[in-house]
Amino acid sequence: MSNILEIRDLRIAFRLDRKSEPFEAVKGISFDIPTNSTVALVGESGSGKSVSAMSILGLLPDNAIIPAASTIRYGGRDLLKTTMRDLQSIRGKDISVIFQEPMTSLNPVFTVGEQIAEVLRLHMGMSPRAAAARTVELLTEVGIPNPALRVNSYPHEMSGGQQQRVMIAMAIACEPKLLIADEPTTALDVTIQKQILDLIAKLQASHHMSVLFITHDLGVVGDIADTVVVMQSGEIREQGPVKEIFEDPQHPYTKALLACRPRLDRRPVRLPVIDDFMRGDGHPHHLEERKRGTSPSDPVILEVKGLNKVFSLKEGLFGKRLVPAVKDVSFSLPKGKTLGLVGESGSGKTTVGLTLMRLHDATSGEVLFEGKDLLRLSEREMMAYRRRIQIIFQNPYASLNPRMTVGQILVEPMKIHSIGKDERDRVDMAFQLLKRVGLSEQSFYKYPHEFSGGQRQRIAIARCLTMKPDVLICDESVSALDVSVQAQVLNLLQDLQDEYGLSYIFISHDLAVVKYISDRVMVMSEGALVEMADSDEIYRHPREEYTRKLLSSIPKGYELAPQPS
Amino acid sequence: MSAVLTHPPAPPAQESPGLWTLAWRRLRQDTVGMVSLAVVAFFLAMMLASFTGLIAKDWARERGVSYANPSFLAGNENLEAKAMAGKQAAKAPPVDLSDIDPLAPRYKEWEERAAKIAVTETKRAETLPFGGDKWGRDVILKTIKGSEVSIFVGLSGALLAVVIGTFLGAMAGYWGGKVNDVLEWFYNVFTSIPYILLILAFAAVAQATGKFGKGILSIVLILSLTGWTGIYRLIRAEYIKHSNREYVKAAQAIGATNLSRMFHHILPNVSHVSLVQLSQYTVGFIKAEVILSFLGFGVPVDQVSWGTMLAEAQNELVIGKWWQLFAAGASMAVLVTAFSLLTDSLRDALDPKLK
Amino acid sequence: MTAYVIRRLWQMIPTIFGVILLVFFLFNWVGGDPAMVLAGKISNKEQIENIRHQLGIDQSYVYQLWVFVKQVFTFDFGRSWSTNEEVSHILLTRVGPTLTIMVPCLIIETALAVGLAIGVAYVRGTLTDRMTMMICTVAMSISFLVYIIFFQWLFGFILGWFPVQGWSESFWRNLFYYAPLPIMLAIFVGLAPELRLYRSFILDEVNQDYVRTARAKGVAEKKVMMKHVLRNALIPILTNLGILLPGIFVGSFLLEVFFSIPGLGREIITAVNRSDFPVIKAVTVYLAVFTMIINLAVDVLYKVVDPRVSFK
Repeated sequence: MSNILEIRDLRIAFRLDRKSEPFEAVKGISFDIPTNSTVALVGESGSGKSVSAMSILGLLPDNAIIPAASTIRYGGRDLLKTTMRDLQSIRGKDISVIFQEPMTSLNPVFTVGEQIAEVLRLHMGMSPRAAAARTVELLTEVGIPNPALRVNSYPHEMSGGQQQRVMIAMAIACEPKLLIADEPTTALDVTIQKQILDLIAKLQASHHMSVLFITHDLGVVGDIADTVVVMQSGEIREQGPVKEIFEDPQHPYTKALLACRPRLDRRPVRLPVIDDFMRGDGHPHHLEERKRGTSPSDPVILEVKGLNKVFSLKEGLFGKRLVPAVKDVSFSLPKGKTLGLVGESGSGKTTVGLTLMRLHDATSGEVLFEGKDLLRLSEREMMAYRRRIQIIFQNPYASLNPRMTVGQILVEPMKIHSIGKDERDRVDMAFQLLKRVGLSEQSFYKYPHEFSGGQRQRIAIARCLTMKPDVLICDESVSALDVSVQAQVLNLLQDLQDEYGLSYIFISHDLAVVKYISDRVMVMSEGALVEMADSDEIYRHPREEYTRKLLSSIPKGYELAPQPS
Repeated sequence: MSAVLTHPPAPPAQESPGLWTLAWRRLRQDTVGMVSLAVVAFFLAMMLASFTGLIAKDWARERGVSYANPSFLAGNENLEAKAMAGKQAAKAPPVDLSDIDPLAPRYKEWEERAAKIAVTETKRAETLPFGGDKWGRDVILKTIKGSEVSIFVGLSGALLAVVIGTFLGAMAGYWGGKVNDVLEWFYNVFTSIPYILLILAFAAVAQATGKFGKGILSIVLILSLTGWTGIYRLIRAEYIKHSNREYVKAAQAIGATNLSRMFHHILPNVSHVSLVQLSQYTVGFIKAEVILSFLGFGVPVDQVSWGTMLAEAQNELVIGKWWQLFAAGASMAVLVTAFSLLTDSLRDALDPKLK
Repeated sequence: MTAYVIRRLWQMIPTIFGVILLVFFLFNWVGGDPAMVLAGKISNKEQIENIRHQLGIDQSYVYQLWVFVKQVFTFDFGRSWSTNEEVSHILLTRVGPTLTIMVPCLIIETALAVGLAIGVAYVRGTLTDRMTMMICTVAMSISFLVYIIFFQWLFGFILGWFPVQGWSESFWRNLFYYAPLPIMLAIFVGLAPELRLYRSFILDEVNQDYVRTARAKGVAEKKVMMKHVLRNALIPILTNLGILLPGIFVGSFLLEVFFSIPGLGREIITAVNRSDFPVIKAVTVYLAVFTMIINLAVDVLYKVVDPRVSFK
């Protein structure tokens, strides 16, 4: 099988400013993309995978430096050394790209049809009428309903999934030989994700093109790739056919990546983390199964009855539009257990969490904590309960005040709730907590921007712990983290639950993570509670249609991965 | 969790940099920024020296002849000065009024006594370092004194406008709802009147009634009461943005009060915007003051500002006397350029983005 | 869309009322008794008494406010305190000269600013770009007054290419003989800040994701700028124009004062000097209303330019 693209010794550095050394993002990688096949480029954030892919078409920012020794051979030429003119004739025609965020990647002021037609007229020299006709064909091929009508839609009038289909249509319009897909499904809901992946696979086969698929999710890779290239910190750790990578990984990092993602069929006491493979004896430990589940006799710490939240938006001349975000949701949280709350975007799961914390005002319903209805308390009375229920948000980069030191962030809640005898006492407790969540004591004096995403989540967890809460709401708390970091934080959360008897409400769209950490699972869709059962039960015997649909959307790929022994 | 550490770890040897330290470091590396900062500092020092009377105290003294030439143009003819001197000389000799004036016999006595007291009547200089105006006042001293007014008005007006705008913007952005509606109405009213017209309207009332205070204070009030709108808009947008950020929700979750969230949490994240605006507004207000003084709505007649200098210069250019125009125009240009560049550098230092 | 326009017009009412209140507060309350104000300016006691009576100064503030509101809606502000000319007549006759200067100025300046901004953005980061921006910064720091004084002296007095001052009755003579120097001056001075602003608008767009997509499609850089970027940058440019538009009526009062052009700007300056409140009040209220209408027109125009805008 011949290769369509050959990358040799690619090095990319970025000049940050005049004084400092350029930052090396890619440190000499080489791999091939064969014709008519899919290559998956896998890595976590900072691995250099996107940067490498962008360099193929010269789409890097101006401050990128690539030495002459690096080559990217395509069609007998070195793409790194061709003129811009020649490169432009290849872009969109022989090699095209689809990006991660379709909403911002499409031009907001032109219709979808105009943008697709642009590439047809540019490279194929079509007349406006011919281009318009072909555009409708392409929209049909990518599965847009009512293509003749949709041609005149603007990007913001379409959903995320449809926008991505439009991007794909634009990319395949000129029958490219290589399609570069840069995390195309990361920003989409799980069910849509599956549809897009299927679409790409179908097009790859029917158009006989190669696909370079960039992702951080090994699970996705298992479904669609022929070859896998694993990157970390700008270097390739391992590459090979997908079967080999999954069944017999060689490099510790690959093993770690495969192992630390929660699986649907097992539940180890502790998730393996990268360090398990890269240090020590190279094997993870504590892999015994952990039993999870609830029983009717469990003491209940939090009970929610008939929770409703309706948002009112202004509309029309003087009118309002009522949007019910949470519809009559009821559940109970057993003490010391984890209740998982699963759903796609718009399901209302986050709103439930915020309403419990009274960060939103519920429209109606009851939230009973130790017999008191939290929703009926005045703000003053609520203060006493605030410390008992805490929340960890999704975005680690936005949940810590950039202008406060970690020490200030940790001491503030203690001051508010009069915890600790004096300042010295509080500072001591802060140091203790930092150690407990696995951060150095020096962190006390640092600012949030000096920490990575995973470390910031730990700080957020420490902040909650200062108040010694009973209930912790994790609102997509690990969703923004890399897989390996996610595993570490999940382990930490589990340790804390075991040690302090905390009760969790774990909100996420990631079914595998939810199954791993939850005793009981609630599925929500469009504000309503669809199904609720113990986690093992719901995954083995889902009763509702929607639950089944969700479960079938999980990429099966990882199932090829062997269990670490 | 209850053990008390006897030796808490000491702060690291290298202080962890906060926003301002980082910004200062970035600014230090910016040559243009540092030069502008130096120039601005120089002008400020000059202004303080002038304010405290260290220099240019006697700017109003008519030291030179009318339209005295600058030293470097000493040779040029000064027709105007000659004309003035001629006028004085053309005065008729004093009339002897001894017959009717009862005090007449005593004049001689007083003259002799006066001559004994050494009165140094300074001879009017033919040239001054950078020339003189119509009354022979030193242009350099006028420029220095004038800077005092312009810079003071610019800075204090900007400070007041920024304080008003930031406070109102914070209220509107954080509370939303009715408070926002009222403030937005206020904002709409002020901004539907073209800015210059608004200033002139305020100036008209100030001038007619003196209700805005006298002199410089009135200009400062006029400029700040009309200029707060721009900052209001910016700060309000920032507060809306930050109020929805998770760190503020987290503060609410741990029980921080509204006041704490507004000023302890959000304000430090927004203050850099106010600072840049302060710098920008100072520039705008200096330029505005000059124009207002030129039109006669600014400083009172007994004070000098760059604006009054330019007003005088208007007619001087035709007769070839360019030094006042140049002095006022150039010093203002240098200060404003430096301030503008400083504003840009401040913005880059506080919120760096890849260009 | 009609619903949108109606809703906006409805929302304008409190603002118009607010402007009336503000003007009233300034001129009737703070401004107070015209007798005090005019004592130095109009020596005719009878005239002052007349004005006092006309305004009903002896009446309560509520009555005065009512009179003012009536004036606004009947377009009758009475007469100028200094020239005794009817205020409405003053406004109508002075608008012409102001617009003769400002409209050509706005059109040419915008065209130049946008064109230069694209050019400079295209070569961003190069020496040309930085030099141009530096020149703009310095140019903006020299007072408008200095420019006027200097250019009037240079072009009018020394070179004699244009008249130093003056205005005529004929529109065409005005446009081609008396107006060019002021227009040139206005463009020259106004260009620098516009250029900086538009450049920043364009650069903001250049960093967006959709530009990367356009490049990935193989579109040449020039076309990316002229088609993709410019079209998006038009949105903030249009906003900016909307802000500038009401300002053309006050015009450049400095130019009118220096060049003795009988425009609205100069009229306002004269009125301020003479504390001629009726003129100032009238101009303020009408321009405010006009500004609101222009804002509405710009917002409606937005729909054409920015498809994301929906009329709710």
